Amino acid sequence: MYRRTFLQSLALYGAMGALPTSLANALTSPTPSAVSVNDLPTLEGELTLYLGRGEGGLYEDVLAAIQKRNPNFTLNIRRGPTAALANAIVAEAKAGIRRADLFWAVDSGAIGMIANEGLAQPLPSSITGQLLPEFQFENWTPVTGRIRTLPYNTQRLSADKIPTDIMDLPDSDLSIAWAPAYASFQSFVTAMRILVGEEKTGLWLKAMNKRAKRYAGELGVVMAVERGEVDLGLANHYYTLRLKSGKPDAQVNLAFTNNDAGCLVNASGVVALSNSDTATNFIRYLLTVEAQSYLANEAFEIPLVGQVSPPQGLPGLAQISPPKVDLTKLADLRPTLDLMRKVSVL
Amino acid sequence: MLKVSHLSIHYGTTQVVSDLSFSLDHDEILMLVGPTGCGKTTILKSLAGLVPISQGEMTIGNGTHHWTATPKKQVPPEKRNVGMVFQDFALFPHLTVQENIEFRLSDAALANHWIDLLGLSAFRKTKPNSLSGGQKQRVALARTLAHEPAYVLLDEPLSNLDAALKDDLRWEIRQALKSAGVPALWVTHDQDEALSVGDRIGVLRNGNLEQLDSPENCYSQPANRFVAGFLGEASFISGEYHASTHQITTQLGDVPCAIEPTGQSVDVLLRPEDLSITTNTPTNGVIHWSRYEGSARLYSVLLDGDREVKIRTRHDNRLMPGDQVRVDVNCTHPLTVFPKEPG
Amino acid sequence: MIKIPRSYPVALVIALLALSPIVVLLNLVGDDFQAFDARNLQVLTNTLLLMTFTALGSIAIGVPLAILTTYVRLPWGRFWLIVLAAPLALPSYLGAFTFYAAFGMGGEISNLLGIPTPAVNGLAGSTLIMTLYTYPFVLLTTRASLSSLDASQIYAARTLGLSLMMSLWRVVLPRILNGIAAGALLAAMYALSDFGTPAIMGLDTFTRVIFVEYNAFGLSQAAMLSLQLLVVIMLILFLESRFKGTTERPGRHLYFWPSAQQKFFMLLAASPVFLLAIVLPLSIFFLWLWRDGLGNFQLAYAWNSAYASLIAAFVAVLLALPVAYAAIKGKVGRIMERVTYMGFGIPGIVMGTALVYLGLKLPFMYQTLGLLVLAYVLRFLPLAVGSIRTTTESLDNSLLDAARVLGASRNEAFRRVTLPLTMRGLIAGAALVFLEAMRELPATLLLGPTGFETLATYLWRVYEAGYFGLAAIPGLLLFVLSGFGLALMFSGERSADLDNKNEPSKR
Repeated sequence: MYRRTFLQSLALYGAMGALPTSLANALTSPTPSAVSVNDLPTLEGELTLYLGRGEGGLYEDVLAAIQKRNPNFTLNIRRGPTAALANAIVAEAKAGIRRADLFWAVDSGAIGMIANEGLAQPLPSSITGQLLPEFQFENWTPVTGRIRTLPYNTQRLSADKIPTDIMDLPDSDLSIAWAPAYASFQSFVTAMRILVGEEKTGLWLKAMNKRAKRYAGELGVVMAVERGEVDLGLANHYYTLRLKSGKPDAQVNLAFTNNDAGCLVNASGVVALSNSDTATNFIRYLLTVEAQSYLANEAFEIPLVGQVSPPQGLPGLAQISPPKVDLTKLADLRPTLDLMRKVSVL
Repeated sequence: MLKVSHLSIHYGTTQVVSDLSFSLDHDEILMLVGPTGCGKTTILKSLAGLVPISQGEMTIGNGTHHWTATPKKQVPPEKRNVGMVFQDFALFPHLTVQENIEFRLSDAALANHWIDLLGLSAFRKTKPNSLSGGQKQRVALARTLAHEPAYVLLDEPLSNLDAALKDDLRWEIRQALKSAGVPALWVTHDQDEALSVGDRIGVLRNGNLEQLDSPENCYSQPANRFVAGFLGEASFISGEYHASTHQITTQLGDVPCAIEPTGQSVDVLLRPEDLSITTNTPTNGVIHWSRYEGSARLYSVLLDGDREVKIRTRHDNRLMPGDQVRVDVNCTHPLTVFPKEPG
Repeated sequence: MIKIPRSYPVALVIALLALSPIVVLLNLVGDDFQAFDARNLQVLTNTLLLMTFTALGSIAIGVPLAILTTYVRLPWGRFWLIVLAAPLALPSYLGAFTFYAAFGMGGEISNLLGIPTPAVNGLAGSTLIMTLYTYPFVLLTTRASLSSLDASQIYAARTLGLSLMMSLWRVVLPRILNGIAAGALLAAMYALSDFGTPAIMGLDTFTRVIFVEYNAFGLSQAAMLSLQLLVVIMLILFLESRFKGTTERPGRHLYFWPSAQQKFFMLLAASPVFLLAIVLPLSIFFLWLWRDGLGNFQLAYAWNSAYASLIAAFVAVLLALPVAYAAIKGKVGRIMERVTYMGFGIPGIVMGTALVYLGLKLPFMYQTLGLLVLAYVLRFLPLAVGSIRTTTESLDNSLLDAARVLGASRNEAFRRVTLPLTMRGLIAGAALVFLEAMRELPATLLLGPTGFETLATYLWRVYEAGYFGLAAIPGLLLFVLSGFGLALMFSGERSADLDNKNEPSKR
């Protein structure tokens, strides 16, 4: 089983004497390539990680494996809703108290907020250089990606009936599920605003609102699609993949639009709040080929370092042609909410 | 002994009790009596330390206990060594009879003494809720006396009980108090109770002590018309006082006078027992109504001139309303008079 | 001479403490908030409807169940009581989610059994879920005031020719209005502050607006909206305070003696509540567990939940006592009591963040168990205050006077008379706090010691990630543990029992 071999390889400590030779190779190499845990220095000391998501134990496995591999290292984890933890970090900073060394957030908007408050520590280029070029930022690191998709009910619809341009969706005769209160959806609208402008986005939302049914979250969207309550939904890719892995005969499949906000690739990210080698080295562990492969295979997240294959059931990023959007700009949520409210979507 | 001087109590700005003074001997029972709202329960509560006093002071001084409470130096109830018997018994429903009586006792012998004396042995393990009213009040009394109070306060202890029980229990309580040898202040609104068990009686109205005296004096020589009316049936007839003979001339003849009145025109207080009723002529009144009381019969007679008097006779008397009768004053003791009321 | 009741200074300190998160919210409100617009008005209407229906629904279920568990000697009576109170320990969002998944087209029930079921959603669905997970508030508070009621009036009513039902309606009901209102108030405030249930049921409520703002990092706007919600809360608190039941001294306890058959039908009538609130969600979770397989659950989570909640229940009762007493003493005390209620109606996540700001004022306590317990107490104090107040109000004052004149100090009289006689109220209050703390999420996530995992936080983790099968075991444990906690507390009720066990049965 993949899970077991991953845990063994990540946890296996020191037989070869963990020399960072190929790490140096990776740095000099012009194309980014993933580093193996065997190339990383061992971690020592203590770190506190604020983990901005609930993840049913898969991130836990990665964190536990890193912990196991580094016996002289203690990792304290606090979990919570991303926005709540971001607010807590800001509150702590205002009170002059720092409890978190790292913040791993499900949402790049939260990272942007922390960065705007000036709390993010700059990262060495040896880390950012490992990532695909469009995911290189100076004071935070994307860990895994997620792509906007159109999950559709295979019983009610065939793939060729689905528009390849997100802007055409309201003109179709499909019934649609969406979750406007959901953070990823709001990021998607923000991207659309950046790509096509405020006015077109507003019209699109208004037109969509007439044929869309509202759900609390995107898991609900995918479930509604699978049940056949609607023809098609707007959701992050992994909900569909996870649903299908638990229920292989599920009547749902993924469709993608072409080079527009409808196939935006967003990222979960990690930001260092303390300026320590342990913290930066810890981030290196998250970007190893082992951790990235594991998250891809078990959590269906999209790996963002080179040479790691995407999760099963999802085409590679190269085939999809996502739009080019600066992820840090997605933190600019306020105009998006105002717009959504103006057209009565929120 | 218990001494209360110039005691006043306020609830907010309302004065409830004003300038109350009295003292109690080592085993004396003082009955405080008055209509509802006269402040008698408030006085008890203040003496127990449950209500703060606003003026005056009270002192307890016997061999072992000695304290003085003033408005500035309130003594909390638990430091007073006071015993209190409540109208609603105030037995702790979660404790058995024995546990109630032993509430703060280290010595079970004291509790046992009162349990035996008041005939409660059969109920030791019973919870109060299943006792009868009389039993409950005995438990409450036993609990109070077993704690060896320096003085006892009784707040209408019999008012929640059957009439049949009352007579027996009031004497039982008196006996128990006397045998405990403690001064007691007993509040009641029942004048029979007050007259029969008290060593002395204090009559209260609107927070003022109207009279404080022996039961006999309070009954036969009340300080005013209110006291006269409150302690029993009171009829008044008008008369002229003659200083030379110390007699009063009334429409029922001349009667001896008990006090020196301030004016010549007076009203004479007549208790129903002071009068007799016959069918002798000449008649001087007509029977208005009659009420059978078992051992006696009470008549209301309208005298000529429409003055109403009440007369108590033997129960075998059988006069009917409307009968013409003759009323005579039938007593040897001097009668109390009050200045004539205008109108 | 004006004498300040002794409970006032302590109650004032506690009230100020309870008010402090709201002061934090006031500070968080920035300049850039938007005014209340017409769309929010629609949302507010939904909120008020949900709140009203939830309060009515919880009365409709809670009061009959309270009468059943108090006045009828059921076989395994305590067991039924515990089972019927337990829904309070399950987070309502899990219930909402399982109902959503179980009912309707393509739902688990129609998948498994082939029976088409109506979808549970919208206002009706939200009301159903909210009612199922808040009626124990009414059950417990009503029970507390029922059990200190004198039975003789109902006997009087029966002899005057009223039927049993009519005498319950005309004689018992008016006298337990205090207790019912206290419970309904809590249910209403829960409905006001919960986000998950209406969101899953697709109902647009005020909390949803707040939640959207919060998640979009508009903390100041979320704080502003929460304060607007507070106005609604204050209105409800005011309305509830107008509800005056009678106060009376406890008398003989009432029992009905239905036949075994009647008892069976009573339990049968009560069972759908339990089946829907507990059995259905757990069954759905176990179904998914069977599909998905086991996760990385640790038993230590259950232990963490249990002891943090027990400590919180104990401390809350301790702090609630002076507040409840102050409320009985006078108007000012009553206002202080009302103040402690306000935090309960504020959406958990906003309150959680406000508490982070407060906790940071005590850096030595920040992210310790102590602060978490304090947070639980601040959030759930009204649960304890309400039920302690209702039972204490019915305590006969002359009992305290009697203890005092027998030589007991204030403290001793309190310990030996007040405490045992109001034990039912204390236990009911502790039970409410315990159950609520078991399912509390935002404060636990934000304020607990780092790495402190409870059943509620674990449930949230797996739910958020969509691994629902993993919710089965912690969900079951939450139910079982709250049962144990309740059993422990209700066993203390025995000592408060006013009945004489030796005495022949009374009718």
